[in-house]
Amino acid sequence: MTNPVKRLQATAEEFKHKDSKDKKRYIVDTILNNALYILMLIFIIYTANKQPNFLTWGSFANLITQVAAYLPLALGIAGCIVLTGTDLSAGRVAGLTAAVSAVLLQKTDFANKMFNNLPAITPGWILVAMLIVVAIGALIGLVNGFFVAKFSLHPFIVTLSTQLITYGIILWFFGLNGNNGQPISGLSQEYKNAIGGAMFRMQNVPIPNYVAYALLLTVLMWFIWNKTTFGKNMFAVGSNAEAAKVSGVNVFMTTMLVHTLAGAMYGYSGFIEGVRSGSVAASTGLNAECDAIAACVIGGVSFVGGTGKISGIIMGVFVLRIIFVALTMLGVDSSSLYIIKGAIILCACALDMRKYLVKK
Amino acid sequence: MKKLIAIALALVMVLGLVACGGNTTETTAPAGATGTQAEGNKPASDLKVTAFWYEESDVYLSSVRNALNKELDALGVTHDDQFAANDQAKQLDQIKTAIAGGSNLLVVNVVTSGAPDTAKDILDAAGDIPVIFFNRAIGTEGADVPVLTEAKNAAFIGTDAPEAGHIQGKMIGQYLVEHFDEVDLNKDGKISYAMMKGEEANIEAIFRTQYSVEDADKVLTEAGKPALEYFDAKNTDKYQVDQGGAWSATAAKEYMDTNFVTYNEAAGNMIELVICNNDGMAEGVIASLQEKGYNKEGAHVVPVFGVDATDNAKALIADGAMTGTVKQDAEGMAYAIAQAVSGISEGKAAPEALKNALTDERFSIAEDCAAKLYVAYAPYTGE
Amino acid sequence: MEHDVLLKMVDITKTFPGVKALDHVSLEIKRGTVHALMGENGAGKSTLMKCLFGIYNKDSGQIFLEGKEVNFKNSKEALENGVAMVHQELNQALKRSVMDNIWLGRYPKIAGIAVNERKMYKDTLEVFNELGIDVDPRRIMSTMPVSQRQMVEIAKAVSFHSKVIVFDEPTSSLTEEEVEHLFRIINMLRAKGVAIIYISHKMAEIKRISDEITVMRDGQWIATRPAAELEMNDIIRLMVGRELTNQFPPKTNKPGDVYLKVEGLTGLYNHLQDVSFEARRGEILGIAGLDSSGRTETLESIFGIRSRKAGTITLDGKVCKNRSAGEAIKNGFALLTEERRATGIFGVLNIRENTVISSLKKHKRFGIYLSEKSQREDTQQYIEAMHTKTPSQETKIRTLSGGNQQKVIIGRWLLTNPDVLLLDEPTRGIDVGAKYEIYQLILDLANNGKTVLMVSSEMPELLGVCDRILVMSGGRVAGEVDAAHTSQEEIMTLAAKYV
Repeated sequence: MTNPVKRLQATAEEFKHKDSKDKKRYIVDTILNNALYILMLIFIIYTANKQPNFLTWGSFANLITQVAAYLPLALGIAGCIVLTGTDLSAGRVAGLTAAVSAVLLQKTDFANKMFNNLPAITPGWILVAMLIVVAIGALIGLVNGFFVAKFSLHPFIVTLSTQLITYGIILWFFGLNGNNGQPISGLSQEYKNAIGGAMFRMQNVPIPNYVAYALLLTVLMWFIWNKTTFGKNMFAVGSNAEAAKVSGVNVFMTTMLVHTLAGAMYGYSGFIEGVRSGSVAASTGLNAECDAIAACVIGGVSFVGGTGKISGIIMGVFVLRIIFVALTMLGVDSSSLYIIKGAIILCACALDMRKYLVKK
Repeated sequence: MKKLIAIALALVMVLGLVACGGNTTETTAPAGATGTQAEGNKPASDLKVTAFWYEESDVYLSSVRNALNKELDALGVTHDDQFAANDQAKQLDQIKTAIAGGSNLLVVNVVTSGAPDTAKDILDAAGDIPVIFFNRAIGTEGADVPVLTEAKNAAFIGTDAPEAGHIQGKMIGQYLVEHFDEVDLNKDGKISYAMMKGEEANIEAIFRTQYSVEDADKVLTEAGKPALEYFDAKNTDKYQVDQGGAWSATAAKEYMDTNFVTYNEAAGNMIELVICNNDGMAEGVIASLQEKGYNKEGAHVVPVFGVDATDNAKALIADGAMTGTVKQDAEGMAYAIAQAVSGISEGKAAPEALKNALTDERFSIAEDCAAKLYVAYAPYTGE
Repeated sequence: MEHDVLLKMVDITKTFPGVKALDHVSLEIKRGTVHALMGENGAGKSTLMKCLFGIYNKDSGQIFLEGKEVNFKNSKEALENGVAMVHQELNQALKRSVMDNIWLGRYPKIAGIAVNERKMYKDTLEVFNELGIDVDPRRIMSTMPVSQRQMVEIAKAVSFHSKVIVFDEPTSSLTEEEVEHLFRIINMLRAKGVAIIYISHKMAEIKRISDEITVMRDGQWIATRPAAELEMNDIIRLMVGRELTNQFPPKTNKPGDVYLKVEGLTGLYNHLQDVSFEARRGEILGIAGLDSSGRTETLESIFGIRSRKAGTITLDGKVCKNRSAGEAIKNGFALLTEERRATGIFGVLNIRENTVISSLKKHKRFGIYLSEKSQREDTQQYIEAMHTKTPSQETKIRTLSGGNQQKVIIGRWLLTNPDVLLLDEPTRGIDVGAKYEIYQLILDLANNGKTVLMVSSEMPELLGVCDRILVMSGGRVAGEVDAAHTSQEEIMTLAAKYV
């Protein structure tokens, strides 16, 4: 059944043999199972109708740029959700690593430079800086994973704690060397180019390098999730930790690694965050995990555990960004914006859960 | 293996704690809940001052806190800081705890701004202890006056919330009168602007959003120019707001990126002016503009205005990428509070003690209430 | 004494997409009788009961209780009308006390607000005394064995003054003695005029306890007869629609040299004490005993998922430490757990993922990449070898029947190419036909030189399949018997040795 055409034919054949009642149920089920995509399609058509610019290459470029910025965090957090957990520390970890990257890669001649005896900005140093912040993220993830796995604490509690601890470290960090909580700015041009430099332009809208990086990360994560023992073990632990243990899966190691990998992804998110907005403040990353978690559940990474696909996460991030871009273009007032966003998340999750309810 | 990891993690955490702990004692020597004696060893009074801050990461307030701690050290009073993490209920608990712990002068940066009832609760908790509110307004349009008058031993030091908007508006108006044709990219005789609001229900954000445009329009019409026009006729709010309420550069950048798709030079409807509630959002806007090839050396500069005059904003203005900001005088604010504290230590009541700060034209007593001291804003367009 | 009809189900039909689960099934249950409902898994027994309790909406048909038509919307409504069910898989609030569970949703109140704990305690004791149950009503459910939790469930049904009580596989996790207790309770209820529907696979029990027997097959009603008229072979013939001459396949395995040696196994956090035994290559060693006699603990300790205080495991002369499941698998052990749903299957994952999880290493290419093709081939091989009934490899395992799930899990273990198989209740909740297949499989494994340790609560199964039987009691080995020359009585006597 690998041939999609054959599969479609088989489905059509099966459909023909159903009686009218079954046909109706089949159609309703199909619509409900794909309701989110249908809704999005209607939404896109409506928006494009009201605002033709929404369906232009420039608009698309803007959309994928934003998706590429939000995707890494969601890819990281998704693993935690597959384990029926969550990660509340994601945003703050990204905030901390954003600050560290900014400090490591400030202009050498910047007046308010926080540390003066850093190496000159070379491609090598930029790479080292990235590895440093990814390692910082991974370390915090490791701490999360350790407490979750070792003491069977709910990730909600563990990551809430590390969220607070990380914020404390952020505040301390921003007070170093007479910085007094000021935002960190003056990022070097080399750093900005490496992350945000335009690969090419679509209708004068630049596609920054980090879109390519996001693509690479997606491929990497897809590989890890689907083609490695670690990925298979992650799904097994998320589906039934006890059975996984009996089946010889090292549940402790798997849980630790999932959180560590997530932390590394937050580290990378932080690395691009500073460049995106030109500066890093102590509040950078605040609540970023909310959007990431929402994207995951919209994309079908369920809190039931053991389910989720990379393609779903990408869809989830796209849905959230489409909502943002479309509503901004439509000039919708901010109160409606919150309501629509909330309603979509609720709908998506309800439709997702519907798949897990026992049909009666 | 597991044990090794466990030990390693424990070590990391302990080291982390030691490092943090060690550092705290270094940087804020006189702080701490119990309150240690200031350097110099000559207590000027038996005052024990506790300062309450709505949040620890606020950039401007970090500057104020730094300056204030220095001023209070110089005065030789015992003092410490408490942070409410954006939670008014938590702040009230902190205040009650501090009073129980012997604090006899409260310096309060309320969490919920513009709510006189909150201030009343704090004053009730304080009883006879003098309270100096600062920075975040306890009531607007005169709503704070009855509270302050009734309390007798309370005062407010801050900025006149609408003033930042007024100053920003005048600065924008004057700049446009001088550079109108240069700014008007599509030569339609009108300036279309975008507005970045920091937080939906914040009183300062509301005033800045409102008055910056009103005052700019006033200057423009007086000079015979047409009023500003919001770039998106469909948006009845006439602003775009950071949905996270964090006044963040990221939010501003994403709005600008998205706006740019529909509104650009090629389409002849480019945004010609961006007004931001703070400098952080201005930085995000500039990052977006620079990506599109604007606000760089040799390129057209879309005027971007902010508020706060952070170091980064000053640097951007010096580079020519940003046009203007409004300076909130952090040192001035700290100086005024410290002067009031010294007045109280001399035995004066709080409103009376405010007058100690009237040393130069930066400070003025409010017209509607003798217990309110304003620290002036100033336009900043480079040194 | 004439028994009038208490519950009548007429022409019940229920269709699922593609399957006719119930095809005009009728059933009459008389007051003061035990009515056995029999059939293979998938015959429609559970579906029929779910229609009765409103868990499923029936497509057509009518249900009458004492002559009045009823249509329960959910099991709560059924319960309030005197129709109760004791489930096979107990759904209880395990962290709460016994009496909380019994009175859940209808707590006696003081002044309509506060829960009257004292009355709850008293009423619970009353019901327990009536049924001869010796359990402290304040005990927390999770601290009690399954058998006692089931008693609580029965007490709950009685406390509702139920007229009809459905028992769904009530003895599947009970020991002989506990079964006796259950039957005493059932007889008492019958004497009080309660109508009982008894669903079970165990012929001997059915013959003993029931007055009438209804057999179902493939969603259809086949026959309803007085129990006295039916012999065991008749029932099997009706159920499977063919002669089943033998419940067990012929024993063909020939035990060889001693292969596995367990010495002085003592538990760190359980009552296992000085368990020692030997098993030969190609031998099927049964482990019998009462509930909580340490049978499961023995298997799990060998497999490394329970902490040991002392004891050595020697395989082919080599000491195996088995500190974790992973290590045990490496050493050639495999464990089929007792609770399939809790510790066996990955419900939301598909057949393939469930099959290959323990043998991922052999699909690894270039040290990291897992080959999809070889996973697919392995899975297909075992679907065919085990005759697993599934639409595809991508089907989620929780949609399969218990027997097919069990086959997938056995396949999972066979893929690790184990030398020693530890099987804990391998045929629990599996229908007669599938049981036979599993027995055959176990024998095949032994024929191939594997050593099989098999825990079971079903005595005939142990006698029919095993070579030797180890009897455990109170965490200790009470004795060892030759399966060919022993009797159920001998085993029961040993099982009670250290109780």
